[in-house]
Amino acid sequence: MATIDDMHDHDGADRPTFTLVQVPDEVPDEVVAVSVQPTTRRRGDVFRPGAGPMVKFENLVKCYDGDVRGLDDISVSIAAGEFVFLVGPSGSGKSTFIRLIIRELRATSGRVIIGGRDLGELRRSKVPYLRRAIGCVFQDFRLLPDRTASENVAYALQVTGHPVREVRQRVPEILALVGLDGKGDRLPREMSGGEQQRVSIARALVNHPRLLIADEPTGNLDPDTSQGIMDLLQRINRTGTTVLVATHDRDTVDRMQMRVIALEAGRLVRDEESGGYHEETGEVLS
Amino acid sequence: MRIGMFMREALRSIRSNAAISVAATVTALIAVFILGAFIPSFLYVRSAVNVQQSKVDVDVYISDTATVAQVNSLRDRLSGLKSNGTISEMTYVSKDDALRIMRARLRDPSVLDELPSNPLPAKFNVKPTDPENADAIVAAVKNDPALDPTEGIVYPQSTANRLLTAAKFVQWAGFALIGILLLAAVLLIGNTIRLSIFARRREVEVMKLVGATNWFIRWPFMIEGVLCGLAGAIMAVGMLWGIKVGVVDAWAAGADSALTKTDSPSSITFPMLTVLLVGAGALLGAIGSGITLRRFLRI
Repeated sequence: MATIDDMHDHDGADRPTFTLVQVPDEVPDEVVAVSVQPTTRRRGDVFRPGAGPMVKFENLVKCYDGDVRGLDDISVSIAAGEFVFLVGPSGSGKSTFIRLIIRELRATSGRVIIGGRDLGELRRSKVPYLRRAIGCVFQDFRLLPDRTASENVAYALQVTGHPVREVRQRVPEILALVGLDGKGDRLPREMSGGEQQRVSIARALVNHPRLLIADEPTGNLDPDTSQGIMDLLQRINRTGTTVLVATHDRDTVDRMQMRVIALEAGRLVRDEESGGYHEETGEVLS
Repeated sequence: MRIGMFMREALRSIRSNAAISVAATVTALIAVFILGAFIPSFLYVRSAVNVQQSKVDVDVYISDTATVAQVNSLRDRLSGLKSNGTISEMTYVSKDDALRIMRARLRDPSVLDELPSNPLPAKFNVKPTDPENADAIVAAVKNDPALDPTEGIVYPQSTANRLLTAAKFVQWAGFALIGILLLAAVLLIGNTIRLSIFARRREVEVMKLVGATNWFIRWPFMIEGVLCGLAGAIMAVGMLWGIKVGVVDAWAAGADSALTKTDSPSSITFPMLTVLLVGAGALLGAIGSGITLRRFLRI
């Protein structure tokens, strides 16, 4: 059971700050987001630093009610600092995969180990701390509709008990980093899809996650906007954040040539260090 | 600082869900109003019954022919009942006293002057500690030789019995009704807040997603519940005050002055009632939202 004391878990002394890094010129109009990875452990941190892979599934099986297999015997490992695409048709288990990582779902059998922590053994009261260490981005943005962009980002900071003064300073910073400088006062409904997704990325980043997961982040966006979002995720990855992107977006996967994990009907059908989106025929585009 | 933030969050949520907040407030208003009308009425009736109960007394009439020894033995018997706690008070009323009381009570006392002798018997006026003891007192002295053969023992038996039944009924029915009212109020407010939370369950999901602890999510909702409960309670108290000043006080002022004597039935004072109702309103809101939230936090 979480208590009020759990909320006061940050003393502010060891909090890292954002730094701006010079961007290559081929990215014209955007500032690159670079979050310095936290080097010291934060209180309430559920991750165990230096404990092997960031994400590790061991013989994982997830059954839904009535013996429907969501995921079937998945063993996969994602190292810290990797950029990984999770691909597969609708219903192949991508979302289940992601929801297991943030423990919205629990494994039926097998193990999910995130940042060295076996989620099967994680107490319910620790789940909020797990989620603070993981940034999440979704297809439908999941912004709070009655709050401005700034307030949405600020909420993620308030949750972790940051003082108001610090929130006021960091929110504009991070909004600038995702390319939303000066748009902090807009409500989600006043923004384009791409802008909303940037807000949600800013919110995911603001707590310096070691792991950023994105479930169809470009699913609702046009191709140009999608590319902007993917570039942003890639830049975030370059700073050392592990990034896992579940996507349908064939073009992006083919273009970026990153590690691809392919699921089909709940089974792991392919895991390649550098590949493209899988054709139905099994042919790899690269 | 933190309380300030939770306050702001609660106010924000009241603003952005104005309709539901109004519904919760009105629910609290109705619940507290009913409670506020019922509690003083209940206490008044109970107090009235108690006042009547304290008036139940037993007159043991003494025969004019009884000897001093017989009267003393009757007195000893009654004293025995007093020392074992059956009787709280006993007074001896002589024939002369009885006549004086009679004289004082009559509009035209001169009629008593026509009497050749004092026809009124002497008596012991006995107050039972509890009206239920009346039967025991009667049983203890009914065969005493000192009793007046015609008057004997007089006490308002049927009144006493009816009062006893009424008192018990009022007591239990009152507590049961208050209990049911409180339960209904909690459920109603809980249900209204459930609407508010249901409307915002996506929001709660998002909060959980960014790592908000359950209490972090719960506090603003609880404060929202308390604020709605308080607002409803304060309005209910206002309405009750209007009714008290406009109706009850006016009626009491116009009623028989006997009602305002010191031993007349009393009820709870208005400031006391206000404190009670406002507290109840806040508590109803807090419990209502607290209970309702539990289901939605299991994500």
